[in-house]
Amino acid sequence: MIQSILDGILTGAIISLGAIGLTLIMHILRFANFAYAELLAIGAYVALVFDQLFPVLVPALDTAFAPLTLTGALALSMVIAMVLTGLSAVVIDALVFKRIRQKAGPLSMVFASFGVALVIRNVIVLIFGHHAQLYSQDIARATVISFDPLILIKPDQVFVLALALALMLALHLILTRTTFGFALRAVAENPSLAQVAGVRLSTMVAAVWVIAGSLSAVAGTLYALTNQLNPLIGHVFLLPVFAATIVGGIGSVYGAVLGGFIVGIASGLALMILPPGYAPAMPFLIILAVLLFRPQGLFGEEQQ
Amino acid sequence: MNRKMLYLAGASMMALGLQAGTAAAQDCSVNVGTIYPTSVDWGRPIAETALWVGEMINEAGGVDGCEVNMILRDDQNDARVGVDAARALVDIDQVELLLGTVSSGISIPILTSVTAPAGVMQMSCCSSSSRLTEIAESGEARGLWFRTFATADVQAAVAAMLARDAGIQNITVVYKNDDWGQDIGRLAAEAFEAVGIEVLDQIAITDAQPSYRAEATQALRGQPESLYLALYPVEGISFVREWIGLGGTTTMIGANSLKSDDFRTTVGLENLAEFTGTDTSSPRVQSAADFIEAYTANFDAAPSGPGLANSFDAAAIALLAYHAAGRDASGEEIAAQVSRVTDPAGEPIPATVEGFASAMEILSGGGSVSYQGATGAVTFDANGNVSAPAVSWGFDDSGVVEQSYISLEEVAAFMASTN
Amino acid sequence: MIGLVSYLTFFLTMAGIMAIITLGLNLHWGYTGLFNGGVVAFFGAGAYGTMILGGPSQPDQFGGFELPYLVALGGGVVIAGALAWVVGLLTLRLRHDYLAISTFGIAVALEAVARNAQWLTGGARGLRGFPRPFEDQIDNNFLFGVVFLLIVLTVLGLIWLSIERLVNSPFGRALRAIREDEVAARALGKNPVRLRLWSLVIGAAIMGAGGGLYVSYTAFVSPQDLLPILTFQIWAMLIVGGAGNNRGAVLGAVLIWGVWTLSGFALTRLAPASMQIDAGSIQYILIGTLIVCMLIWRPEGLLPEKIKKSQPMTARKAASNSTRE
Repeated sequence: MIQSILDGILTGAIISLGAIGLTLIMHILRFANFAYAELLAIGAYVALVFDQLFPVLVPALDTAFAPLTLTGALALSMVIAMVLTGLSAVVIDALVFKRIRQKAGPLSMVFASFGVALVIRNVIVLIFGHHAQLYSQDIARATVISFDPLILIKPDQVFVLALALALMLALHLILTRTTFGFALRAVAENPSLAQVAGVRLSTMVAAVWVIAGSLSAVAGTLYALTNQLNPLIGHVFLLPVFAATIVGGIGSVYGAVLGGFIVGIASGLALMILPPGYAPAMPFLIILAVLLFRPQGLFGEEQQ
Repeated sequence: MNRKMLYLAGASMMALGLQAGTAAAQDCSVNVGTIYPTSVDWGRPIAETALWVGEMINEAGGVDGCEVNMILRDDQNDARVGVDAARALVDIDQVELLLGTVSSGISIPILTSVTAPAGVMQMSCCSSSSRLTEIAESGEARGLWFRTFATADVQAAVAAMLARDAGIQNITVVYKNDDWGQDIGRLAAEAFEAVGIEVLDQIAITDAQPSYRAEATQALRGQPESLYLALYPVEGISFVREWIGLGGTTTMIGANSLKSDDFRTTVGLENLAEFTGTDTSSPRVQSAADFIEAYTANFDAAPSGPGLANSFDAAAIALLAYHAAGRDASGEEIAAQVSRVTDPAGEPIPATVEGFASAMEILSGGGSVSYQGATGAVTFDANGNVSAPAVSWGFDDSGVVEQSYISLEEVAAFMASTN
Repeated sequence: MIGLVSYLTFFLTMAGIMAIITLGLNLHWGYTGLFNGGVVAFFGAGAYGTMILGGPSQPDQFGGFELPYLVALGGGVVIAGALAWVVGLLTLRLRHDYLAISTFGIAVALEAVARNAQWLTGGARGLRGFPRPFEDQIDNNFLFGVVFLLIVLTVLGLIWLSIERLVNSPFGRALRAIREDEVAARALGKNPVRLRLWSLVIGAAIMGAGGGLYVSYTAFVSPQDLLPILTFQIWAMLIVGGAGNNRGAVLGAVLIWGVWTLSGFALTRLAPASMQIDAGSIQYILIGTLIVCMLIWRPEGLLPEKIKKSQPMTARKAASNSTRE
């Protein structure tokens, strides 16, 4: 029980990171972006490329920070992945979503995002192949916290949780303490009014894509660090990330964080009640349950 | 754009070149349909293996003197796409022989709505569902269906034998939540209990989940002495790494689907010392070794991953039967010749280009051969199922090593004793 | 030559089944503005329902009632409608994107049931042996294909006519009214919740008919038929064809299904041998690119809704307004 909750919190941290970006995108651009989770895959693969490149250039980077399996090379690669994934998010927007936004409604955007997801995923397959890859072959061993009840934690997962919380705090400060944060919130509240007040909408949209892209890059890399990397990770993450966003309420960063933890914990606890075969349905049962009581999500604003 | 144009230009030139070449060397060709999920991780090498057999057969002289033209279609792991591809192959390319596919959920609708009604022979490497046996028994398949994948009961029984001999007291069964996994997981649990091993838990692993932490935690709850794994490499790697990280036992018995380099390198040899695999195998170990050697020479990598040996044998047996039936044969006529290729009393032939050439000679002369393939001297029963002896295997630093060989009689006697 | 005709017969059969489902979705989205993200759930309910009612009985397996074909097919349609009724009660008060993700989740949950509830659905092995209509009477495989195509076209025609009548009836006008402006419709005494529920049920029943026809062709159904890719295909068909226009829906179904399958066929002909093994991935990239380009080039679809005088706003504007409300 305690173990399941703990596991849920650790998985939830990664889902939360992914959900923050999605909730901002869905709020400002007002469409369900099904290509969003592919940004996780882009980030993780970019990190993989540099992670393999750095140790060749600077061998010292290849030692792991004990007790983590994270190496200096990977930490650096993750930063590069954040930048490059943020940029690719902006490029994808300019190539596809911007054009459609100018001509059509949100539904066209939803379907375009499906198409974009298909393209990205299969381009990754063409370049990297289907097979599973790892940053480190070493298996991260769990530390026993308590024997009765048995509670195990992996150092990597604690690191993931800490990093995720730190990034969330940073984002919180940006959104509440900076002019940029105010502008962003103004755009989200009322795009036309914000423009009248001198906020450049296109800059804001690009900024949101950069934030979403870089957070996804971190989420993707951390996921690949604690599990494995294959071209399907975007596909695998899509549903939990959406669930977290909706449970939290679209547009609410704190809701997304909480939603991520709820989805993570509930999926862990679900196995105590449901047979494991039903695990994929779990995020949706949570969504349904939350929406039945709060149709706008936990932190969503009342519509209409 | 330019690249695209180049590809197109290249393609048409190649097509022209091929036609010219064919006209000069061989004055005919036979189309053979191949449907495998090339856009899915484990599907791709299976398809490559089948295409390679086509090349070998051509080198050996082709089917009844005609060049084999293997037409590959992707089923996208989607039944509607697979059925459409099969229809296109049967109707437009006029194939009489179809190889494929992997997933039973696609092989079955292709069999019941395309190949069987059209009288086309279908041979699959890897479809394992027991529904297929039912279809064959009911007569719906009209004798046109074959598969080189031994049904799950042999592997399940061998796993129980190995566990019993290792003195294991209790075990937790972890299975992939698809038709194959549900079948083999259930059969293995029954077999373990039949030899007095306590089955603590049976855990379904649904693919494409973000984390298998919860499943691993659940498996850990019973503190099992050993684990039975009926998983594919992708989720197998995730689950086992999680499991070992949590301090679970490394005494594991795995199905042949885990015979994969990816699995070996990512889980790590140091954790696999107590891993034992099961597989169906050849009574003459040599042919399996030959296959591995030839495969390695051709693809620059050892055959790893599920279904490669089965895919090789499916293609080879089917094409040899096509040869025996003649270039203008119908699907029914090809199916009728399969027994001449897999005749235990026939001349044993190895799975090499020379072997194919000599087999073709014997078959053309009206004789019969015993094909010694990558999975051994395969024979089919009336339902198109193979029965085969078994091996146990483990991992070492060079790849996969065979540990012990369990003959068909031993397997049969063991299965009879547990029922 | 006969081969080509035979393949075309089959292609049109499949495209016809897709078109039926697309018509159901058009009633949901095109005429009522319901963002149904779980098309495959209703398709699956119809498919499994038909199979359980009309399939052969098997040991240790619920179902296999061997009912006559039309009863089984009708039963599948009713089951799909009933599922929609329950789903509607749970989700219809949600706004657009929430409704979409909830219905999507219901489809995933249904797939999990199909995969795990072995007593009911056969589990991952699926259910088999549905007696294909008229197969015993018709010896010839080609002729069977033609007869089956006629069955599909008849059903398609009947559904088309019914929807056309429905949307031009007072009920249909009320549906469009709530799609355009729910508050105004309510002020005029229409009950939007009940109207939406009926639209959801009728559209889902149509999708169920598509599922029933599909199993009666393949004689087999398994969880593999319930993957979300079907939902995406059907939506792509409706959006490319033109929402709110039945002709657009059918045109979109034929076009997208054509692209989906012909791209695979074309690649086996055109791509060089060394690339054949990558053809699967290339095909996906082509399909994805095509859909994106189509949406950039003509977002309202090939045959957009024809706006009559009484409807000042376009469907598209209404859609964007209602998500922004």
